Amino acid sequence: MTQATLAEQYTEAAVSAASVHRGDPDWLVERRAEAARAFAALPMPTQALRPWRYTDVAGLDPAGFAAAAASVRIDGAVPAGAFVGSLADGAAKVPVVRERLGSLLTATESRFLAANAAKWGADGVLVHIPRGVAFAGPITITVDASAVVNEAVYPRLLIVAEERSEATIVVRTTSGDAPVMAAGAIEVFAGQASQVRLLLDDRWGAQTRDFTWVRGRLERDSNFQVGSIAMGGLLVKQTVEALLEGEGSTSGIRAVALGDANQHFDFVTLQDHIGPRTTSFVEVKSALAGASRQAYYGITRIGLDAVGADADQTNRNLLLSNEAKADSDPVLEILTANIARCGHHAAVGPVDAEALFYMQSRGLDMRGALQLLVSGFFYSVVGEFGLPEIADELSGRVQAKLATATL
Amino acid sequence: MTGSPILEVRGLKVSVAAQPETHIVRGVDLQVNAGEVHALMGPNGSGKSTLASTIAGSPAYKVDEGTILYKGEDITKWRPDERARAGMFLSFQYPTPIPGVTMVNLLRSALQARRGAEVPAREFIAEMRSTLAQLKMDESFARRYVNDGFSGGEKKRAEILQMGMLKPDLAILDETDSGLDVDALRTVAEGVNELKRPDMGILIITHYERILDYIKPDFVHVLVSGRIVRSGDFELAKQIERTGYDPILQELGITRTEEAVAP
Repeated sequence: MTQATLAEQYTEAAVSAASVHRGDPDWLVERRAEAARAFAALPMPTQALRPWRYTDVAGLDPAGFAAAAASVRIDGAVPAGAFVGSLADGAAKVPVVRERLGSLLTATESRFLAANAAKWGADGVLVHIPRGVAFAGPITITVDASAVVNEAVYPRLLIVAEERSEATIVVRTTSGDAPVMAAGAIEVFAGQASQVRLLLDDRWGAQTRDFTWVRGRLERDSNFQVGSIAMGGLLVKQTVEALLEGEGSTSGIRAVALGDANQHFDFVTLQDHIGPRTTSFVEVKSALAGASRQAYYGITRIGLDAVGADADQTNRNLLLSNEAKADSDPVLEILTANIARCGHHAAVGPVDAEALFYMQSRGLDMRGALQLLVSGFFYSVVGEFGLPEIADELSGRVQAKLATATL
Repeated sequence: MTGSPILEVRGLKVSVAAQPETHIVRGVDLQVNAGEVHALMGPNGSGKSTLASTIAGSPAYKVDEGTILYKGEDITKWRPDERARAGMFLSFQYPTPIPGVTMVNLLRSALQARRGAEVPAREFIAEMRSTLAQLKMDESFARRYVNDGFSGGEKKRAEILQMGMLKPDLAILDETDSGLDVDALRTVAEGVNELKRPDMGILIITHYERILDYIKPDFVHVLVSGRIVRSGDFELAKQIERTGYDPILQELGITRTEEAVAP
């Protein structure tokens, strides 16, 4: 298809027609049409915008890609009354979807999100956890774009955790060696005293460029924990935000990236303390080999009513080669003086020489020492996430990647 | 009953890599044979730890002159990991905390490196258990992160545990006694005695004599301002215990202040 005909699929007429053809309910057809209008009106972000400062999106306009859908596999036991499945089905069957879908991540805030809202397909997933229901084990949602070649995918996940519910969701994203553009949206509603853990497990192929947004809204006494393991892909930009609205709510965002060759990672975090006595924790770590790059832009905001807020933000970057580069841009916006704590820490540098000598003096060569040090560096983030299998597996994956990385 | 030479240090001069004008070791000759325990004593700042780290291959120091031979081979230019795999072991004065890496992980990787082959999980666990038992250490110790949140005594015991697993032919114990109370010191020293083999050499770096009450040295050397100024037997250590370093320093015409200033 030519550029012009590709772009036509994102017009309001085309989007509405496709939505009707899918059998979407009327309200969803209208939402998608709105998203298409937003798409037409919004420009591509430029590096003049602070969250986009470190990532060049030239040539990545969704309009240049045919929309495709990744296939989705869901593993894990779903208790009675809960819904884990296709978002299209959920839109028709689960009443809460109409009210919540697109209300946290709106189509009007970014051209990528507009494209997602207009075009998400079979890769839309709904997780609805009714009041008081706790999932026994993690639910793993595998978003597989391995059949996608030179097209765009728009995975979308809506998690609605009602009062006192509890769930752990793992989102694993995979693709093949062909170029793929992904623009994902994950909305999380953490109801009163609910506990939601979300782990993003990026296993994209080497030519995938991914822009994913995660935004959680936390009600009173809820707890929302996000973990992110970024290892795959050519460009992975994740924006992860916790809106701490309810009094006593708690959020944690822990991300790790391991880069090699010309991989580019870009994390944006927001811990937005809105309600009183809210607690947040952010730790973004990277280890960068080859000519890989990591950018971090993190905002801790403490609003006027967020008395007693406790916030901590850390960004640590290990440079494993001379060509690797990391940028760290932490921002604090504190509007009330009456807070418990607001800390931030950032570091960029090579591996600690003493730790390295210590490992070497035990017989490990430079690469072996780095393999162990980096897996330890990552474990401290993921190990506390409460998924020991994934943490253990991560250590093996770190070591395997570093076995061939350019140091 | 002197064995073959394990370590031969010849005319060694060492400076700080980042500050080449700072000469710390200023000409040291030292030979440790199989079956021998040597103690290297000296006041603070005399260059003991620098010498230990240099023998182990620390990149923080630069050898300006002289050679280090290990089992007859010139290893002056070897990387630290090559020395370790050949059977050299340094017990650190300040073991580095490595959060996220468990003792088990480190021990297994280190043992595989030392043997140059995969160590089957079962065999490894069995060896680790028996070494822990030999050193009267709890198994939960092995699941903790390396030196992370360890007490002073635990750190030193963790070093001896690694020594026990790696079975070195040359063990350099750098101030293994520092920061230990009397019970912890005895435990650690007993551990070293347990692991002592007739075919290995041991070099104990210490400021005080007391560890030597538990691990009897065959030879004692006193390092002052980067040079060995006295060598003797255990009696020399006991003399230092009684009188301190001052008489030796005075005999050499060095005052405390000079000593503190001299790099």
